[in-house]
Amino acid sequence: MPPKNKGLSSLSERRKRFGWLIPFADLRLTLTLLSLSMVLIFVATLEQVRVGIRGAQAEFFESMYGIWYYPTQFWGGEYFDSIPIPIPGGYLLGGLLILNLLAAFITRFQWTGKKMGIQFIHLGIIMLLVGQLATQAMQEESRMQIDKGESKNYLERFHGVELAFIDVTNPDTEQVVALPQDLLEEGGIHYAKDLPFKVKVLDFGPNCEFNSLPPAQKISGPAKGVNRGVIQTANLEIRPKPEDFSSEGMNFGYVVFELFDGSESLGTWAAISHPAGNHWWAQINPKMGDLAFQPIRTNGRLWGATLRPQREYLPYSIELLGIANEFYQGTDIPFNFESEIVLRMEENQTRRALVYMNTPLRHAGKTFYQYQMNKAADYTVFQVVRNPSWLVPYIACILVSIGLLWQFSFHLLRFLTKSSKAGLASS
Amino acid sequence: MSPLRVACFSPSHILYFVKFHIPDWPKFIPTVLCVGIFSCGDNAEIQSYTAPNHYEGPVVAWQLPEQWGENPGMGGIMAGSFHVKTKEGPQGRIGVMPFRESVETTSIVNMFARELGHADYNDTTLSGLLKSKTFSGRTFELARLEDKTGEEDPPRTALLAIHRQNEQTWLFPFIANRELVNQQLDNFYAFLGSTTLRAGKTPVRAIAPSLPPAQAPTASHQPTWEAPAHWERKASTQMRIGNYAVTNDAGQTLDFSITSFPGQVGGILANVNRWLGQVGIEQTDEEGLKQYLSDRTVDEKPAKLVLAESEDQALYAAILFHKDRSWFLKLMGDRALAQAEKENFLGLVDSFCLGDH
Repeated sequence: MPPKNKGLSSLSERRKRFGWLIPFADLRLTLTLLSLSMVLIFVATLEQVRVGIRGAQAEFFESMYGIWYYPTQFWGGEYFDSIPIPIPGGYLLGGLLILNLLAAFITRFQWTGKKMGIQFIHLGIIMLLVGQLATQAMQEESRMQIDKGESKNYLERFHGVELAFIDVTNPDTEQVVALPQDLLEEGGIHYAKDLPFKVKVLDFGPNCEFNSLPPAQKISGPAKGVNRGVIQTANLEIRPKPEDFSSEGMNFGYVVFELFDGSESLGTWAAISHPAGNHWWAQINPKMGDLAFQPIRTNGRLWGATLRPQREYLPYSIELLGIANEFYQGTDIPFNFESEIVLRMEENQTRRALVYMNTPLRHAGKTFYQYQMNKAADYTVFQVVRNPSWLVPYIACILVSIGLLWQFSFHLLRFLTKSSKAGLASS
Repeated sequence: MSPLRVACFSPSHILYFVKFHIPDWPKFIPTVLCVGIFSCGDNAEIQSYTAPNHYEGPVVAWQLPEQWGENPGMGGIMAGSFHVKTKEGPQGRIGVMPFRESVETTSIVNMFARELGHADYNDTTLSGLLKSKTFSGRTFELARLEDKTGEEDPPRTALLAIHRQNEQTWLFPFIANRELVNQQLDNFYAFLGSTTLRAGKTPVRAIAPSLPPAQAPTASHQPTWEAPAHWERKASTQMRIGNYAVTNDAGQTLDFSITSFPGQVGGILANVNRWLGQVGIEQTDEEGLKQYLSDRTVDEKPAKLVLAESEDQALYAAILFHKDRSWFLKLMGDRALAQAEKENFLGLVDSFCLGDH
């Protein structure tokens, strides 16, 4: 048992020692922050119409502040719609709420058995807030599309691309070197020990329009200096566009890069990522089919360059045995989608499973939800979520429940004791 | 220690632990918060890994000799084009040409032979020309042809290396003057030996940049046509049997060509789509192709006529497939001038005769 520290268990002593925290423990601050949270949710909900769920989430919840313009449709909109109104963001409010609760914990709450319930409740709420923050920071959402009868062992991120260089010379295995979007956004020169050339990122954008011009016509824009690969042979002009955050948004990311063997330039390429997968290029336009694999030959090896949704390879694979879908009678509203799969793990272990609505497959920290299905084309798509902090909200709820139970039980017992004493006294 | 055991600790236990086990402990809480909030994201770094090879395309790779350089502008997965670096600048042309199917050696050699003024070879005459050599365990047929037209000195020389593998034919032509070919012989052989050639699951496409030279007119099979007098005839090239320019006073221009290739070189859709892209029209599919196509008889054989116009450009073409060869008669350029010359173009198409009957 640790020695008792009366100093810190005494509220007055803690208030003296952490005096600077007292203003942060103010209940008025709590109410202000909660009110601002309601404003934030209201504004973000309105903005969702303009920028989509992901846009509103990024602009207002995953930021310190967001800028909102008073809607023209509201009263007085014609006068106020040009005034930028700063709205405190999710990170700011969440951070301040955590600080507020911690400060209250230290400078306002009594650490006694009587008040233990209050402490548990607030600890639970702190955990909820921190857990949400951790979820936003660590949760990864991906998709896995599998054709019937085929196996897949990688996921593709819903958002974010990578510039992948793939050496396919070896018939059995391919060597992949991938530059994630963050590095493409940074630009500059990148090296990797497995890559026989240096990569200089000249331009990157999350979305673009493109157009094939007649051969004689000179192209302008980011692809102007491109002298190798599909963009050059197809005379493709790239025009950058802002990222489309709407749920139906199709973002064609692009990158322009130059390769160097030592100090000698091997040429300048450009690549465009198809949001539904680069295998679509060949179907859209045969001339652009090589955007899925632009050959680069060096030192007797064949490398392919492609800009594709960021991939994560798994130490296991999933084979799709069959799919089935049911609809409510007489409607096109899905009643049930289900995929029959075989999970092939290491050491030849297998596991059959049925994945359907609200019954995902959980394996190795990832959850595979039934997401989309195309019966005609015989493929299924799983939404794959990895959330290392998924347990935190459960623990937080248990803590809050224990706290409430403790607090109410304590008051109930005290009330019963008092009323019993009062009954005895009156009798 | 189990999580449950930790959960049973009181706040005073935790504070005791923090106070006596972590130096400078009052700074601990904000530090933990800051670290927790700002260090959760992944640091961006280059990922390098191996994975099962799912690439279904053919693999063609090579080791380029130091004295050789790669020609820019060679798109497509299956073609390569190189030159020899000399003091006078890039010289010669070395290529990597895949064919969709097994192509007879006589057909390949004759394509070059005609260009260099030779009579057609047959199996008997060709046998004296061919040599077989093995590089890195692979056998190549080698044929050497020198220009007989006497136009150049030293004469233009074509050294052809043909390799067959899995029903596919790979052609490596080295075309340069005789001295350069002789000088680069070792490099050429080393290059052949360095190549990695692996057929893919998907068929090899004979894309435009990798096409062999066009069939030159010969005395025995001389295609003929009647071109309008005001069309300016230009010199034929390796690719173009017929080559014309049409201009008007407004400065508008048209380009007309007659080309021929072995096989169907990708078929009608692939070729029309390539041309549509050249005149700024969206690519199309089999269904959409119908709006540009109509039937026409050329030299008493069924052919296809392609008529497509964008806002300012036009494409008129006739496509004829006959006896394992494709013939393309194509007019392309300013739309207004093309419309004015449409009747002349159709007249030329109707006058076209392969000369094989």
